[in-house]
Amino acid sequence: MKNIRFYSLLLFIFLLLLWEIAAGNMSELVLPAPSVIFHTLIDGLMTGYFTAHIIRTTLEIVLGLILGSLFGFIIGILMGESEFLRKLLSPYIIASQAVPKLALAPLFILWFGFDMTSKVIITALICFFPLLENTMSSIQYVDKQKLELFRMLKASRWQTLIHLKIPAGLPGILAGLRVAVVLAVVGAVVGEFIGGSEGLGALIIASQGMMDTPLMFASLILLTIIGMVLYQLVNIAEKRWSKPYMKETKK
Amino acid sequence: MEFLTIKDITYGYQGTSPVVDGVNLVIKKGEFHCLLGQSGCGKTTLLKLASGLLQPDKGSILLNGKGMTDPSYECGFVFQSPTLLEWKTVMDNVLLPVSLRRKLTEENREYATALLKMIGLSAYDNRYPTQLSGGQQSRVALARALIQKPSMLFLDEPFAALDAITREELQEDLLRICQLQNTTVLFITHDISEAVYLSDRVAVMDKGSIIYEEEVDLAKPRTMEMRYGSYFNDLCLTLRQTMSEGRS
Ligand SMILES: Nc1ncnc2c1ncn2[C@@H]1O[C@H](COP(=O)(O)OP(=O)(O)O)[C@@H](O)[C@H]1O
Ligand SMILES: [Mg+2]
Repeated sequence: MKNIRFYSLLLFIFLLLLWEIAAGNMSELVLPAPSVIFHTLIDGLMTGYFTAHIIRTTLEIVLGLILGSLFGFIIGILMGESEFLRKLLSPYIIASQAVPKLALAPLFILWFGFDMTSKVIITALICFFPLLENTMSSIQYVDKQKLELFRMLKASRWQTLIHLKIPAGLPGILAGLRVAVVLAVVGAVVGEFIGGSEGLGALIIASQGMMDTPLMFASLILLTIIGMVLYQLVNIAEKRWSKPYMKETKK
Repeated sequence: MEFLTIKDITYGYQGTSPVVDGVNLVIKKGEFHCLLGQSGCGKTTLLKLASGLLQPDKGSILLNGKGMTDPSYECGFVFQSPTLLEWKTVMDNVLLPVSLRRKLTEENREYATALLKMIGLSAYDNRYPTQLSGGQQSRVALARALIQKPSMLFLDEPFAALDAITREELQEDLLRICQLQNTTVLFITHDISEAVYLSDRVAVMDKGSIIYEEEVDLAKPRTMEMRYGSYFNDLCLTLRQTMSEGRS
């Protein structure tokens, strides 16, 4: 199984070659060759053409992710702890789950303008729900024996939350964060599609207008890289924080 | 002097018929009391009632003369399953009861180290519970119950997952510590010879009631030879018969 990475890479190179050959018989407008895209990408990076766009989109994603996750986490904790809040709010949560959040993007642009705020808010909104749900259910369904142990030790409600419910629910909470990271990229890009002059999403729309397909692909690649880096960061956090549990699930 | 007094308690889980039905039990200060019974007869429930985790429907429980309506810091508890926190090391699991109450001192750490040494897990203090065997986990749970030097110990089949040799070693250690600190113990087991070996008094429980109680007339400290004496074996037989008669 150690060679599997090598075969993965081999497959990737093979697909690239296939693409290169296929692109040779087609207009660059429809399918630019990998070599052309790569050239555009490097060129844009060297001249600094992409820099502002990358920073802008990354900032939107990260700010939205932090904001949405934080709120989702906090409200998830509150709803997990208080049955009153849970019963009060869950009809609204369920209803708002059914709303396609991305369809609200035009509205947010109307309310918060064309600058970064509206994109951050869209991103935050779609990151909010996975964190809320995972946090709420993770801290609610803690092992009854462990809860009894904490009662036996006369732990306060706050101590039980901090020392038992949150650490026990951490794998679930991080799984929510993983979903949120993927959604965050989508949120920021869709926001930029609808109204924006800067950012990789805006660049894709602009390249469509300019019929510059290689630029479009280059932007896509940059977005993919941003997404992968963030996803990897969550993975690292997961490995670090839930190391002891991983051993159990692997058995 | 009476330390734990259980007066005529009755308890049923929501909607079920009583699982513990009119139990009376008096344990003297420093006494090691074993409760025998087949599985499902209500031993765990009785222990949770005695320790204040559950409130009886009827009757009362007094610890050192005071009514028990809540768990007490004076008590240590070992659950039937080890119930360790997977995200904390063995050391931190043992220290958990203290760290929930106040800042850890050097003395706490030293005592935890001594306890780990006693249970034979000195080398494991930085491991995580999932890296231990079931028996090792039970031993950590025992150390955790002892860390606050409780005056009352509630133990729910703590040695069930252990092999015979380790079990005997731990029985010795437990008896020694309890004698040293004059700890009162309520110990649950389904192993008859374990009950006789450990206790000053044994009781047999069946279908929620205590059907037999007997003083164990063996000198302390207990020795290996006692396990093979005639008094020991006669008492085991009596208990064995009582347990199976209770069933019928
Ligand atoms: N949480 C619970 N809810 C309902 N019934 C329970 C619960 N815990 C135990 N029981 C029932 O109470 C009885 C006694 O259980 P338990 O005290 O655990 O017995 P033991 O420890 O002697 O094996 C059993 O019949 C069991 O099914
Ligand atoms: Mg039991």
